[in-house]
Amino acid sequence: MVDEDKDEPATPASVEVGELLPRLDRGEPVVLLDVRNLDEYESWKLEPRRPVETVHVPYFDFIEDGDAALARVPRGRELVVLCAKGGSSEMVVELLKDAGVRAANIAGGMIAYGIYLEPVKLPLEHDEAGRFELWQVNRRGKGCLSYVIVSGGEAVVVDPSRHAGWYEAFARARGARVVQVLDTHVHADHVSGGPELARRAQAPYYVAAGDGFELRHAVAPLRDGQQIRLGGDGGVAIEVRVIRTPGHTPGSTSFLVGGRYLLTGDTLFVASVGRPDLGGHVAEWGRELYASLTQRLADLPAGTRVLPAHFASQAEIGAEGVVWGRLGELRASVPELQLGDAAAFVEAVRGAVKEPPAAYAEIIQVNLGAPASDDQIALWELGKNQCAASAHRSGRA
Amino acid sequence: MALRKLDVRGAKCPIPIVKAKKEIDAMAPGDQLEVTSTDPGSMPDFVGWAKVAKTALLKEQHTGKDETGRELYIHLLERK
Repeated sequence: MVDEDKDEPATPASVEVGELLPRLDRGEPVVLLDVRNLDEYESWKLEPRRPVETVHVPYFDFIEDGDAALARVPRGRELVVLCAKGGSSEMVVELLKDAGVRAANIAGGMIAYGIYLEPVKLPLEHDEAGRFELWQVNRRGKGCLSYVIVSGGEAVVVDPSRHAGWYEAFARARGARVVQVLDTHVHADHVSGGPELARRAQAPYYVAAGDGFELRHAVAPLRDGQQIRLGGDGGVAIEVRVIRTPGHTPGSTSFLVGGRYLLTGDTLFVASVGRPDLGGHVAEWGRELYASLTQRLADLPAGTRVLPAHFASQAEIGAEGVVWGRLGELRASVPELQLGDAAAFVEAVRGAVKEPPAAYAEIIQVNLGAPASDDQIALWELGKNQCAASAHRSGRA
Repeated sequence: MALRKLDVRGAKCPIPIVKAKKEIDAMAPGDQLEVTSTDPGSMPDFVGWAKVAKTALLKEQHTGKDETGRELYIHLLERK
């Protein structure tokens, strides 16, 4: 008997999101078999940096009529199978195997994609390279960006996702301990890992909820203009300056790192501005947002790098793999900043905003300190963020 | 006309549809099957399956809560 499988490379039964995405980003010829229902498939897709050839055959088509479903699966190609949580895709991988078709299951499905974190080290200006490191942590499935600033064995974490242990381990791997945890605002699209990370690291936590919100977490307040210093001695210290930028929420705060890198939260994105409608006061918050954007950030030089908390499309990710823009360029390119006055800004934003993000009210409550189970949170967090006033598809500024 | 009940609480996809399909195939035309699931993904999945199913007709869906407050997703199917 000849074992035909012997000389063929073994296809692993399962692949992690973190292994697969870089391969798809490079454009490797892998075919994605998405077995979710049509609604889920259309509303939230796996998005590598380069388009991936995708075949959509719902898993229940395999259950109903296996032969017909199998006939729709391409042969002779490397196949990876995707579903919502990884269970249905595993079943399909088994059915394919029985039919002699090799495929790998994407472990954990879209849930795993939605929590996958990819750290990207920012290429800093030459004179700063030795002073500190700035990492943009890209939660690609949701379009959420968090930041880790490392200097002299100390780390400040800004807008961490709920997987606090990841940031702790990441800082440790950079030879640093977390000394301060910051949230730019009370998030509405994802649950913050800030309070838990601060607890684990025994570091102070800061978020400003603003008037009318009862924050149950213990916070160490920061003044507008206050400087947080990290890096300790040896002349390697770096300052993080607190700049209050209300509007997206009444407590929204931006952080200026080393005088050049502005972590704007949901105040300013590279292709839009934050939506000011989620509190039900679009006119009032919208005027505040306009004042923050045009007055409170007015003194910052045009060369300041803007590092937002979200991106809406892959086009916003630059060549270096970083989502960022120069403040001067964004002042000239972000459509909402071309309107001339607050009234026109409010009207434009009011007209552009879509439905509130799914479960935003529940997520805000959790971020204010209400309890919720991990399963419940995972469900609320499904899908991409919808935090921008408008999602422009025209590419980077 | 008989009504069968299928309890798939705690099970995640693909189990609810795999089991429902097995039940439906063993039923007589006109018989009904009520499936109780705790997986919110079962709502669109049963709709999608019913569109391609040769022997199952989705009659209605609704939600409720069990004694522990867990969300329940209930699907009523009829054997074609």
